[in-house]
Amino acid sequence: MTFSSSYLLSITTFIYFGAAALYLIHWVFRVEKVGLVASMVTAAGLICQTVGIGLRWMESYRLGYGHAPLSNLYESLVFFAWVTVLVYLIIEYKTKNRVIGAFATPFATLAMAYASFSPDVQDNIQPLIPALQSNWLIAHVITCFLGYASFAVACGLGIMYLMRGNEKNPAGSGLLAALPSHKVLDELMHQTIVFGFLWLSVGIITGAVWANQAWGTYWSWDPKETWSLITWFVYATALHARFVRGWQGRRIAFLSIIGFISVIFTYFGVNFLLSGLHSYGAS
Amino acid sequence: MKNKKNKSGANPIWQFFSSVRLAIFLLIILAVTSIIGTIIPQGETLQYYLNNFGPGMFKAIKLLRLDDTYHSWWYLTLLGLFSLNLVICTFNRLPFTLKLFKRDYLDVTPDYLRRVTYRREWNVASGDMASLREVLLSKLREIAGPFREKRLDDGGTVFLAERGKWSYWGLYGLHISILIIFAGAVYGSLTGFKGRIMLLEGETTDHAMAAADPSQKIPLGFAVRCDRFFVDFYDTGAPKEFRSDLTIIDNGREVMKKSILVNDPLTYKGVTFYQSSYQSIPEISVKVSAPSGATRTLVIPAFQRVSWPEAGLTMGLVKFLSNVHGVPAARIWIGDATGRADAMWLFQGATKGFTAGGKPYRVELLTASERYMTGLQVKKDPGVWIVWLGCTGLILGFAIVFWVGHRRIWLYIGPGEKGTVILLGGQTNKNKLQFEKDFNALADAIDKVTGEGR
Repeated sequence: MTFSSSYLLSITTFIYFGAAALYLIHWVFRVEKVGLVASMVTAAGLICQTVGIGLRWMESYRLGYGHAPLSNLYESLVFFAWVTVLVYLIIEYKTKNRVIGAFATPFATLAMAYASFSPDVQDNIQPLIPALQSNWLIAHVITCFLGYASFAVACGLGIMYLMRGNEKNPAGSGLLAALPSHKVLDELMHQTIVFGFLWLSVGIITGAVWANQAWGTYWSWDPKETWSLITWFVYATALHARFVRGWQGRRIAFLSIIGFISVIFTYFGVNFLLSGLHSYGAS
Repeated sequence: MKNKKNKSGANPIWQFFSSVRLAIFLLIILAVTSIIGTIIPQGETLQYYLNNFGPGMFKAIKLLRLDDTYHSWWYLTLLGLFSLNLVICTFNRLPFTLKLFKRDYLDVTPDYLRRVTYRREWNVASGDMASLREVLLSKLREIAGPFREKRLDDGGTVFLAERGKWSYWGLYGLHISILIIFAGAVYGSLTGFKGRIMLLEGETTDHAMAAADPSQKIPLGFAVRCDRFFVDFYDTGAPKEFRSDLTIIDNGREVMKKSILVNDPLTYKGVTFYQSSYQSIPEISVKVSAPSGATRTLVIPAFQRVSWPEAGLTMGLVKFLSNVHGVPAARIWIGDATGRADAMWLFQGATKGFTAGGKPYRVELLTASERYMTGLQVKKDPGVWIVWLGCTGLILGFAIVFWVGHRRIWLYIGPGEKGTVILLGGQTNKNKLQFEKDFNALADAIDKVTGEGR
């Protein structure tokens, strides 16, 4: 099978890797043309990945299992990368700034590389166990990962904000000066956090509705649930911090990074280090 | 926040609870303390904590109820403070929002319009004012929507196209929704119950066992029977389907039948039954021959004693193996009238002897089969709809707070130095990009009409 979904998704990994390298070159050497190529490569990667995900969906029907490719760790990582790239491309289109690409595409590349090459991640299509046989699966996973991907981008923006230096005395020349201004980064960070927070909230709620339908409890303080709530608290803090004087900028950038660490822990840490209802997300 | 100089500012306690700083502090504390219950396993026995954490930590765990962190006194206190902070913040902000909401934004002067965030000004020589006005107003309606108007004392008229004034209430909807969710959870836990039922195929019960205390019976008010249980596997060995065929019996009548699956429960009179687990229970039948020549076939399910009173025998199933060298095997327990007991292994097809009451008996394992026992989760939660209402409000409120803005576009036409002055003013608190587009489109249109545009 040369034209299978796993083939396309492996290629996607390399395309995103190339795109991340190009964005980095564009930022370091300031060649506008390289930036344009980077955008085109990223868009090509997104198309390739979209086809790959679609094929995988069709293949699952051919195997007789028939489910959306959102059911295990591999599929969720692939979807995470897909949304991250999509959110980034929208931001690039809106801001016309390609430097952000050097901080956003690496997240997608890492997710794809981990999904494709880690021995911990099984990439074969598995049938759905009874607990996952619900239409809420699609709503829950899509909304959660829209949130996670936005937070990944917000984390990249937070790192850029801190690299940009002190607000009163921003880096004036060289590489760091090519980064967008503090004001622009702060605004973008806020917008991506707002977007991510909305989807995380919807993700937690769809999860609650689903749990109520499957097990009869909408909230059982299972480690995954609790960690998603911890993440929710962190970003709620970031959103309220804007209303308090002295909490803008740097502190929100830190919260954005801490929040994403919490996202990562919710996503991986809980699967590997703690046990609970979501254990099927681990293989 | 803008209401720093609050009239009630004299009261420091009120100030403390009404601050956003407290909200941030509580959010951080909740985030950090919530980690505890994900690291320390919850709901284990006290012995478990003593063995795994040592006497020092054990004391802390017992004192702070870290075995049930999220229902402990201090965590609930934090949630209580969080709610109080929310309520007081809401009250505190109310006069400010009410002022914003009640204010008539048509009540402005030309000077005010020269100071708002988005503004343009045109001076035109008086010509056909009536038709110019017609054109301007139709543009305003087309781009900014319906408008109201007011004549000013200077002889000019101000027109206001306003949208989304109600969006100030989104913030309240969002925050009150969180309280509604809490209220729903509390109401549900006070008026509902959670329990478990284990039912063998064919068995009926009219009560569940409390999830928190398995020795406590919860009456259902009706009965439920498990007619059959099915389990199906994929060829990979992974489970494909768990299904229980349930019948509800109310007042002696079968009122409802449904096959429940893991994601498809049954609800009757507010009580919901969820497919949760299953067990296969072995059941054997044996043929016992007494020395008198009398024989008897006994069916022995697991966990039950079966007796043959005439012979003074009691039997039970100790262990069951479905395949030993190709045949089923069972270890049975045999008690006689004198109180003596013995245990022995039986293999299907082979007859064995034993003595009871000093007399020789023979026993043969006839059949061995497995019966299924379904595990059901039972729940009654009248508060769940309140929780869903709160969740819906939360999402709607959130969308309003972040995406629906209060947009105002003013148009003023009045007497000026060159004859007529036209002022265009605009203000919005959200989605500035789209607003700027609309504002500029309107300004361009006015450019064209007044002849200033190219």
